[in-house]
Amino acid sequence: MAFDLENFLKSLQEAINYLPVTIKLTVVTFVFSLIIGSVIAIIRNYNIPLLSEFFAFFVTVYNGLPLMVALVIYNLLYMNYYSRIASFFHISKAISDISPIYVGYFALIMSSSCIYSETIRGALKSIDKLQYEAGYSIGLNKFQTLRRIIIPQLIPVALPGLTNNLVGTIKGSNLVSAIGILEVMGGAITPCAISYSYLEGYLAAAVVYWGFSAALEFLIKRGEHYGTRYRRSLA
Amino acid sequence: MIEITNLKKSFGKHEVLKDVSLKIKKGEVVTIIGPSGSGKTTFLRCINFLEKADDGKLTIGDISVDLKKTKKKEILNVRRKTAFVFQNYGLFSHKTAIQNVMEGLVVVKKIPRDEAKRIGENVLDWVGLLDKKDYYPSQLSGGQQQRVGIARAVALDPEVILFDEPTSALDPELVGETLDVIKKVAKKGITMVVVTHEMAFAEEVSNKVIFMDGGKVVEEGTPKEIFMRPKEERTKEFLSRFITKDMYYI
Repeated sequence: MAFDLENFLKSLQEAINYLPVTIKLTVVTFVFSLIIGSVIAIIRNYNIPLLSEFFAFFVTVYNGLPLMVALVIYNLLYMNYYSRIASFFHISKAISDISPIYVGYFALIMSSSCIYSETIRGALKSIDKLQYEAGYSIGLNKFQTLRRIIIPQLIPVALPGLTNNLVGTIKGSNLVSAIGILEVMGGAITPCAISYSYLEGYLAAAVVYWGFSAALEFLIKRGEHYGTRYRRSLA
Repeated sequence: MIEITNLKKSFGKHEVLKDVSLKIKKGEVVTIIGPSGSGKTTFLRCINFLEKADDGKLTIGDISVDLKKTKKKEILNVRRKTAFVFQNYGLFSHKTAIQNVMEGLVVVKKIPRDEAKRIGENVLDWVGLLDKKDYYPSQLSGGQQQRVGIARAVALDPEVILFDEPTSALDPELVGETLDVIKKVAKKGITMVVVTHEMAFAEEVSNKVIFMDGGKVVEEGTPKEIFMRPKEERTKEFLSRFITKDMYYI
């Protein structure tokens, strides 16, 4: 089949129109998952009783659940039990009035939190125990040491992994199309039903996703230099 | 005055410290010597709770702590009265020399930033590193890093500074400059407990030398008593490698 530029551009336009949905999904997920992932990583790093064992088990098990399967399961459960949940919380809205995007957020945040927690945990492990001891020796408590000594050294180590995880989250957000949410890809292929130029549609989606990821990665790389001044040596 | 009584510490089944007691007067410089595995470093680390002792009592100045059950607040209080100089320097890698020295002053002692900077610069000057105050540890030599570590400890004005083999990680050329700074600290009248293998330094600077082996204090006394007239066989055996027969006198 010949490549139809006009239809490609039409799909590209529609895809960009739906980029805000993808951005929302990505950014909200990233922020929440970063917080939750950090908490999990810190709990496991400090070996807090009960909680660290629980999260170790939970993360290992949950990581095995593919995102699309999870999305579909959560969606089915949501639709089946919505009436019960609504009456419990005294919500008067009908299910059709609430956007299914919240199911999307839930699944993405659950999955990304586990992934980010492993990246952050790895970065935490890389920091020499001596740094903790040095902090304690001058009278800092655990929280002060974590905040002032450990986390600043953790960020440059975790950044490459987290950037990669962020791209993973962007790609994961694509899967919400399985539960009927229109995002970049959904938008890109809407005009294809008329013109039947599906290849152009999917290619347009690919270009937009790729552009978005590349732009974020570029921005993060610029920021990377900022926090790594101290790692340069004179030689 | 610092007093440790009946300190016991085991790592699992291995009893590392089997009832160690030590009394240190204000301004005293105490050196702990002994073979590897004797528990001297563990003992030092128990004083500021980098290791948690199993039993015993610790008194620093006006606070007294039961080592069997210590509360978090008590540990913090003890740590705020002590300072530690690590074998591997223990500088905060993401902070410059001056920031390293200021950290404890600003965050723990709540001294205002400007005054902390003044104190920090004074101490760095005193150890001979004022011109390197804005350098990161990665840009400093081992000896310089150790001197910053000593400056950091001195700036806190603690009741006692604990030194854990401060020159063991340095190459012979840098050992001298670091030892000179440690001697300066001693001359200043700061109470010090030093774990070291540098026998000549121990002899020159300490008021009291403790020889430890197998988790126990084998012998303690003045440097002359320990190095020239050791009483215990084990002490003599250990020192025979460092001190030749003709250094003994009755």
